[in-house]
Amino acid sequence: MKWITARRRHPLAGYVVVILALALFGVGYAALAPTADQAQARTLAADVSSQDDADVDVAEGRDIYDQTCATCHNYDGSGTTNGPDLRDVGPAAIDFQVSTGRMPSMDPNAQMPRRHMVMSEEELANLIAYYNAEIRNGDAGAPIPADVPGHAPDREEFPTPVRADFEDEESYEEAVEEAEAAYEAAIEEYEAEFDAYIAGADNTDMGMKLYLTNCAHCHSWSGGGGALTDGRWAPEIHDASPRQIYEAMVSGPGAMPMFSDTVIEPDEKQELISYVKTLQTEPNAGGPIDLQRIGQVAEGFISWTIGLALIVACAIWITAKQRAHD
Amino acid sequence: MSKTTQAPKALRGVGNFIDDRFHLAKMGEKNLRKVFPNHWSFMLGEIALYSFIILLVTGVFLTLWFKPSMVEVIYDGSYERLQGVPMSEAYASTLYIDFEVRGGFLVRQIHHWAALIFLAALVVHMLRVFFTGAFRKPREINWLIGVGIFSIAIVEGLFGYSLPDDLPSGMGVRILQGVILSLPLVGTYVSMFLFGGEFPGEDIITRLYMLHILLLPALLLALIVAHFMILWHQKHTQYPGLGHTNKTVVGTPMFPAFAVKAGGFFFFTFAVTAGLSAFVQINPIHLFGPFTPTSITSGLQPDWYMGFLEGSLRIFPNTLDFDIFGYAVPVAVLIPGLGVMGLLFGALGAWPFIEQWITGDKRAHNVADRPRNVPVRTGLGVAGITAYGVLWLAGSNDILSETFSINLYLTTYIFRVLVILGPIIAFIVTKRICLGLQRRDRETLEHGYESGVIQQLPSGEFIEVHRESSDETVEILSSKPTITSTALDETVDDKGVESPESRKGMGKLRRRLALWYTRDNVSVADVEAHSGHHLHHSHSTEEQDKEPAH
Repeated sequence: MKWITARRRHPLAGYVVVILALALFGVGYAALAPTADQAQARTLAADVSSQDDADVDVAEGRDIYDQTCATCHNYDGSGTTNGPDLRDVGPAAIDFQVSTGRMPSMDPNAQMPRRHMVMSEEELANLIAYYNAEIRNGDAGAPIPADVPGHAPDREEFPTPVRADFEDEESYEEAVEEAEAAYEAAIEEYEAEFDAYIAGADNTDMGMKLYLTNCAHCHSWSGGGGALTDGRWAPEIHDASPRQIYEAMVSGPGAMPMFSDTVIEPDEKQELISYVKTLQTEPNAGGPIDLQRIGQVAEGFISWTIGLALIVACAIWITAKQRAHD
Repeated sequence: MSKTTQAPKALRGVGNFIDDRFHLAKMGEKNLRKVFPNHWSFMLGEIALYSFIILLVTGVFLTLWFKPSMVEVIYDGSYERLQGVPMSEAYASTLYIDFEVRGGFLVRQIHHWAALIFLAALVVHMLRVFFTGAFRKPREINWLIGVGIFSIAIVEGLFGYSLPDDLPSGMGVRILQGVILSLPLVGTYVSMFLFGGEFPGEDIITRLYMLHILLLPALLLALIVAHFMILWHQKHTQYPGLGHTNKTVVGTPMFPAFAVKAGGFFFFTFAVTAGLSAFVQINPIHLFGPFTPTSITSGLQPDWYMGFLEGSLRIFPNTLDFDIFGYAVPVAVLIPGLGVMGLLFGALGAWPFIEQWITGDKRAHNVADRPRNVPVRTGLGVAGITAYGVLWLAGSNDILSETFSINLYLTTYIFRVLVILGPIIAFIVTKRICLGLQRRDRETLEHGYESGVIQQLPSGEFIEVHRESSDETVEILSSKPTITSTALDETVDDKGVESPESRKGMGKLRRRLALWYTRDNVSVADVEAHSGHHLHHSHSTEEQDKEPAH
C-alpha cells in the first residue's frame, strides 16, 4: 500500500489507472464473452459425413425441416408472411442459405450476416434430400454444383479425443495424433480439390472483366463487400467457398441478381471465382499492413493520424527546448 | 572566450574572390542571423515544404520508367497474376516500376504518402495562419499565394492519382469528366478538347502527365518560392509575449540553431514518410487491375483531399436539375462539383479583405492573435472546418454505412442536415468557448492564478490563495487587443447630419457586420494586473474583510 500511496499523485498515475481499467475490461470481456467456438459447439453435432447421396435420410430431413424451417416457410414450402415460397428456388439456394449460416434466420426482417452453419453436413444433406423429394416443384431452380469445391474442413469436425475415454496415456496420445492427421489429410484433400478447380482457370483477363463488370460494384474490387440501398449491404466474400459463390450466382440470394449458367457460363464462372479467390490470397507487396484493403479512406485517415501527427509531435519536441541565449 | 581564428588560406582565397564580386559576406551575415520565432505551430508550413521536396525527388525517379501512353499492350512482366492481360502502357510501366525496378515500389509509395502528407500539412498550416490572424496586413498577398498553392496542389494530386491508369484512376478521371460535362454550354466542348474525343480516348494520360510533371509543379514551385521570399522579407508573425512587439521579432537565429533544427526536421519528415511507405501499403494498383470503361467497383474513394468534393456530390439532391431548350443543366453535379470548390477557395481568398472592410483596420500586424481574442473569426473558422469535415465524411458514406451498419440512405439525410446545422452550432459553441476563455483570462489578470492553497480566515471563512502570475503571463493577458471597427465610430456630425457613407445600403450592412464582429468581447483595458480582492486576502489575512465570500 505504501508503494501506491507514494505514487498516487504522480503525474502519470491517472493514465496508469485508465490503462489498467481498460485492460481489465478488455481481458475480462474476452474471458467471459462466448466465443464463436463455444457458441458453435452448442449447436454443431460434432460429426463428419460424406456427402454421398447414398446414405441420406429423407425422414430425418423432414424432421429438420419441420423443426427449423416450417415456421416461416410453411410445412409444404409454400411460404408464409415471414418467409418466401421455397418450391421453385432449387437446392442450390437451400444449400447456399443453410451452409453460409444465413438460414435458419433469427429475424426475418433483417439481413442475415454470414456465420457458422447451425447444422452438420449430414443434416444439411438430409434436409436437401427431403426438399428435393417433397417440396421442390419438379426440377425447378438450380441444382447444387457438386463439382465445385465446397467449404474447407472445419477444426470442430475433428474433435480432439477426451483423456477420460482412454485407459492409458499412450493410447490417448495415439488417438490425438490420429485425429490431427485426419484433420490435416482433410485439409490437404480440400486444398488439392480447390487448387485443381482454380488451376483450370488461367484467363485472368476474362475473370477480371467478369468480376469487375458484374460483381465489384456491390462486393467491391477486393470482395470486401459494400453498402447497398435501403439499409442492405453486399457481404464480403472472403470466407465464401467456390461452391457458395457459384450457388449465390445461380440462385440470386437477397438483393443479388441471378446470374444463371446461360448468362455466365460454367467455365466463365470458374474464371470469375478463380480471379476473386486468387486476388484474395495475393500477398500485400506494398508492406505488411494492408489497412484491410479498404483503400483511400483508410489511407487518408492514416496520413493524418499517424503521418502528420508524428511529424507535428516532432515539431513540438524540437521547439520545446530553448536555450537562454536563443 | 576564444581568440578569433582565421580560416585556412585556401578557403580565404576563394571566399575573398567571391566576396569581392558579389558582396556575399554582408548578405550572408544579415540573412544567417535572421531570427525565427520559436513555436511548433510555425513549423507546420515547413512540413509542407519538405513533403514537396520529397515529392519532387521521388517524382523524378518515377519519371525515369513511367510511360505516359495509352497504347494497349499485353502484359508479360514479372507479376504473374496479370500476365496475358491487355492493359495500357501506362499501367504496364507502373507495374514495371513496382516489380522490376529496384526500390521502385518503395519510391512509388513514398511519393503517394508524401502527397497525402503534403496536402494535410498545407491544411493545418493554413488553419494556423487563419486562426492567429497572420493573414492580416501586410501579409494578404502571401495568404492569396497560399490559397493558390492549396488549390493547385489538389488538382496536381488528382492528376497524379489518375496516371497509373488502374481501376480507381479511371473512375476518378470519369468523375472529372462528368463534372466537366456539367458545365453549361461549353461542357461537352471542354471534355472533347481535354480527352481528344470521347472518354476515355487515347490522349488523356499523356496530357495529364504533362500537367502533372511539368506545368503544375512549375507553378507550385514558383508560388512556393514567392511565398518564401515574401515571408523572408516580411518575417514571421509571433505570438504575444515579453518583448514581442510589432517592430521586434524574438526567436532563434537562422544559423546555426534554426538551420540545425530545420535540417533535422526535414529528416524526421522524410523518416515518417519512408516509414509509412515501408510498412503500410498504399494504393496497390497491382491488385486493382487495369481500368476499362466497363469496370466499376464499390468502396472506392478519391485521395482524402478530394473527399469533400466527393461528399458534396454524394449528398446534393438531384431535384434541382432542369432542362433549357432541350439541353440538360445538371445542377446536382455543377454545384457540388464546381460550386463547392469555388465557394471554398473564394471564401478563403476573400476573407482577409472582408475582415479588413468590416473592421476598417488598416494597420500592419506582426503580433499574431490568440484565437480566443477574436471570437467571430475563430467561430467562422471552426464553422468552416465543420462544413468541410461533414462533406469529407459524406464522401466515405458507403464505408461508414458498412462499417457501422447504418442505413446508407440515412447517412445521406444525416449529412444533409449536418452540413447546414453543424457549422451554425459550431460557430455558436466556439464563440461561447472563446468568450469564456476571455473571461478567465480577465480573471487571471485581475486576481493572479489559483495556487491550490486553502486558508481559513479568523472569521471561519475558507479562501483559496491566489498568487501573482509571471510577467510573461501578465504581458500576454494584458496585451489583448480590443476589437473595434471604424464603422462603429460616431457617424452623425455636430450639426446632426449623418455621413453619406453610413446612410447607404453598404454602409448599413457594414455597420451591422461590425456590431456582430465586435459584440460581446471582454475588455481588459480597465483591468490593472493583480488588483483583485483575492490577492488582498492572501496578503493581509489578518485584516477584517468586509467583502462577501466568493
